[in-house]
Amino acid sequence: MAILFKQLSDSAGDRLTRVEKRMRRNFILSIALFVSAMSFLLYSSEAPSTFQQELLKYLPREGKTGEWRRDGLPQEYRGEDLYSYINGGAEIYHEYGFKQVIVQDYIKKNGKSISLEIFEMASSESAYGIYTFKTNQEGEELALGDKAQLADYYMNFWKGYFLVTLTGFDEDEETVKGLKEIAQAVDAKIKSRGKEPAFVSLLPKKDLIEQSIKYFKGNLGLYNSYPFFAQDVFSIEEGIKGDYKAGYSVFIISYRANEESKKKFNAVKTSFKESQKYKNFKLVDEKLFQVEDIKGKLIFISHSKKCFLIVVGTINKARAKKIFDIII
Amino acid sequence: MAKKIGRREFVKKSAKIGVSAAIGSSFIYELVDGSVHAFGKEKIDIAVVSGSDYIKSTISAVELLGGVRKFIPKDSKVAILPNTQSRHPGTYTKPEIVRAVIRMSKIAGAREINCLSWLARKYWEATGLAQAVEEEGANLKLIESSDESLFKPVPIPQGKALKEARIMKEFFNNDVFINMPITKDHAGNKFTGTMKNLMGLNFSKNNRTFHKEDWKTNRSSIEYLDQCIADLNTIIKPTLCFVDATEFITTNGPFGPGILAKLQKIVAGVDRVAIDAYCTTLWGMEPQDIIMINKGYEHNLGEINLEKVKIKEIKI
Repeated sequence: MAILFKQLSDSAGDRLTRVEKRMRRNFILSIALFVSAMSFLLYSSEAPSTFQQELLKYLPREGKTGEWRRDGLPQEYRGEDLYSYINGGAEIYHEYGFKQVIVQDYIKKNGKSISLEIFEMASSESAYGIYTFKTNQEGEELALGDKAQLADYYMNFWKGYFLVTLTGFDEDEETVKGLKEIAQAVDAKIKSRGKEPAFVSLLPKKDLIEQSIKYFKGNLGLYNSYPFFAQDVFSIEEGIKGDYKAGYSVFIISYRANEESKKKFNAVKTSFKESQKYKNFKLVDEKLFQVEDIKGKLIFISHSKKCFLIVVGTINKARAKKIFDIII
Repeated sequence: MAKKIGRREFVKKSAKIGVSAAIGSSFIYELVDGSVHAFGKEKIDIAVVSGSDYIKSTISAVELLGGVRKFIPKDSKVAILPNTQSRHPGTYTKPEIVRAVIRMSKIAGAREINCLSWLARKYWEATGLAQAVEEEGANLKLIESSDESLFKPVPIPQGKALKEARIMKEFFNNDVFINMPITKDHAGNKFTGTMKNLMGLNFSKNNRTFHKEDWKTNRSSIEYLDQCIADLNTIIKPTLCFVDATEFITTNGPFGPGILAKLQKIVAGVDRVAIDAYCTTLWGMEPQDIIMINKGYEHNLGEINLEKVKIKEIKI
């Protein structure tokens, strides 16, 4: 690069004044620097990504977030280190398949603040799952990412392998607008898209409260929806839940094979029968039984092929059977 | 009935310890004089005070329990343990509540007041708690979380899951311990309150084992986590607990963000099981729903049946 620069300078040297020479030299130097910078960037994006680069690139650049500016350096946590960020709250993320997170605060001149967290999960299903865990029936759906929800002072959206959470520290219109601005900027940077797990489509559509859907990848997720058992009695690897307008919830737990489902059904039946948390156990037939929880809620449990089907709440046996028939 | 002091004597005493301007002596005088029956014969197990002034509510709560001098001897060293885990709304103990406890400790004649934590200063600053502690003249004692030498091994003879804890050595330099959690949701076991807050005194690597038996398997063993928490509580007994139930998350705990319940309540008492049992009812649960509370009861740490507990609720 230096030789090229010298040659270019020398060939024009005889005809140009000193000022013109300097201008020509500066121009060539600028070109050289620009080319070097571009080469560096190109090389960086193609080199094997380090942890730091992978998530940093999703943070919106200054100017893309309106009046909101980055406040301090981003924090990053990977794998088991998530525990040092959110202590016991890390377990549910690990259950869903957490890989890494980047956290960046944004601030406005008037002191308002927003916290941005971009979680990378192990798969699109994992990201969808933790999204359903963190959202609720009351939030407002937004057209962002693959799915997005705005609550009073915070927002979650799912896109591809990522869950993005933005937290404001008040419910002012200005803060809510800021949540949307930053979220849109992050959304624009994430190119991949995800799909809802096909399993979710098994939930009957009639009277389903869409924002109540929860997708589980383990017992913690299930327990937070309904505390069937503290132990992982179901050996759950994949499950879904939906609430219905009539006042009941439908759970579907999937197993890898019919035989596994059948074997597990017998074990689960015993657990319900022997547990002090449940009463009035009744075997309806070889594939269906019912119990009541300590608050008197009815629970119907059946299995079919690879799945457990469970209905909890304000429902009778006939209706529960109809729902199971629809799902099967 | 305990002795009521007159206004003149009260102002004289308050001025002596330089408290009146800070607290609002007329309010304290009202408490002493009769708007709240501070020193009645009525034994109260849990005091619940609702109101938008959290300092007043905290002070009123302790007055309902018999007054601050009942719990904090003169010249004592007082350790305070608020929850400052996250700065998201509804996840940390409000600074006003901590201010009130520090001020009351001073009224009682405490020699030294120490806020203990193994969390980094940035957490304390982000929640406004560092400022509150320092402005009120208490000490912020931050313990390096990764330095095991700063924690003392303590055997747990009654432990069913947890056999040994590692409690910060600084804790043992104090005479009185005031436990100040916020009650909120917790994804690990659905609830956090007075018993779970004691993990804030325990070495973080030891805490980690509560979530993961043998470090290897069964990450989602909720019962194991709750048994460990109850076991931990058998070796430490707070002198007094104040629970922030003013504004707290009911989903996505412990870190948030989540749906906020805005009840504006301060809950105070000594019986940890009873207090946690009461707090579960604040967002539609029952004490029996929470394994940790049942385990605490099994350890005879307190009463789970709220019908056997004397609860006094007032609104300011």
